[in-house]
Amino acid sequence: MTTVLLLLLLAVGAYLVAVVEDWTVSGRFRLAAPVLAGIALLGRESIVPRKPDRIFFEVAPFLLLVSAILGAAVVPLTPDLIITDMATGALFINAALVYVLVALLMAGWGPDGAYAMIGGWRFLGQLIAYAMLIVMPITAVVMRAESLLTTQVVVSQAGVWNIIYQPLGFILFFIAAMALAFLPPFDLTTSKGELAGGVEAEYTGVRLAVFRLGRLALIITLAAATVIFYLGGWQGPLLPPWAWSTIKILAVTTIMLLAGRYMPRIREADLLAWCWMLGIPLALLNILLVGVLVLVFP
Amino acid sequence: MTAQMFFIGFFGLAGVWFGIVVFRTFSMVRSALALLFSQTAIGAMFLSMQAEFLGVLQIMMMATEMSIMAIFMVMFMMDPGGLGEMDMTHQKRLSLGAGIVSFMAAVAVAVFVDWGPLASVSPDAAQQTIDLGLELLGRSMLIFETAGITILTAMIAATAVAIQPVKRTREQ
Repeated sequence: MTTVLLLLLLAVGAYLVAVVEDWTVSGRFRLAAPVLAGIALLGRESIVPRKPDRIFFEVAPFLLLVSAILGAAVVPLTPDLIITDMATGALFINAALVYVLVALLMAGWGPDGAYAMIGGWRFLGQLIAYAMLIVMPITAVVMRAESLLTTQVVVSQAGVWNIIYQPLGFILFFIAAMALAFLPPFDLTTSKGELAGGVEAEYTGVRLAVFRLGRLALIITLAAATVIFYLGGWQGPLLPPWAWSTIKILAVTTIMLLAGRYMPRIREADLLAWCWMLGIPLALLNILLVGVLVLVFP
Repeated sequence: MTAQMFFIGFFGLAGVWFGIVVFRTFSMVRSALALLFSQTAIGAMFLSMQAEFLGVLQIMMMATEMSIMAIFMVMFMMDPGGLGEMDMTHQKRLSLGAGIVSFMAAVAVAVFVDWGPLASVSPDAAQQTIDLGLELLGRSMLIFETAGITILTAMIAATAVAIQPVKRTREQ
């Protein structure tokens, strides 16, 4: 029952993300826009390119969707509203979302198109950049919680939220999460303009609809992960827990979508250089600082 | 037969099957991703055996590693798409022999080694994570640190070898 409810909430969340994304792009707030776009996509012919790697081509959009949903499975909206409270939850989110890379590689290699393939391999380079900045800040978060249980991570923030306790980790995680969801300015893999959509270029119709749905679910999962790791999860005064979770997740999503609109797309080499030469040392420093803090203020 | 035994068997067979697919395809990317799914199946086996941390770690690590291997295979093989149907196998008799001998050795180890008394109940997943952490930072620390340093050295050496040397001559 909880599972069905949470999957429904994820679907509603994905819809709202689509509305917000449309708003950040077009400047107009249209509640019906995702429905219309969805109908348009479903009505179109779903073309299979010439000489595709058929298995990869068909599986990729579903793998993207499944990995986003699996990541969402360990995110608690209230203390009880969680699909599975795994003892390795904080690690599991990461494990599930690594398959976003596999899905994008498949989507890049599958259709036998140059733009798609470049987009797919670009995401591999992007992973080399952002992966450590996902894992290391999570390490600092679970150090404070002394548990990999996501519910325990939220409970550990009862006094001070992690955004105040470890602001450095928050900034790094937030940027890395945007890179994982290939949101602008990290949309190297789907670059509109230079790669004609990249991994999305050869997808049309139903397959593209599934792909886009997967990406929306991915954005909402990452926003929810940011909320439970850094913004105190369901905690907050007056309102019930589920309301706080919803408000925070939607706020983080909106900031994620808005932030990238005002920045130029980053170059792959720059992304790698910044992440490895600045990001990883800062992430290590964050672990050290949190370690000292945990010992001094247990 | 319990559900647990069924899933261990299922994922075990899936792992073996994907392992076979690695050598049955001509496409390098398919081959690499088949190996990935073989390893993922082993991760799922760990999960079926209630070794949650190991399972999740296996599933996480292999995705990145095999994807990186895929791009190296595409870079270095002459027919990455497999359109020329190049035969990737060679030294068939030797590898067949080596495969059978290693299999027999693994089975012999599994059967003849005295594994000690069987644990009747496994500790819960959170306790396992704690136990594993204490093990890694206690008795097994030296082994893991040695392995870590060795891998780091290999990575630095590989990068150093891969960098194209810049010739500095007097004329320049």
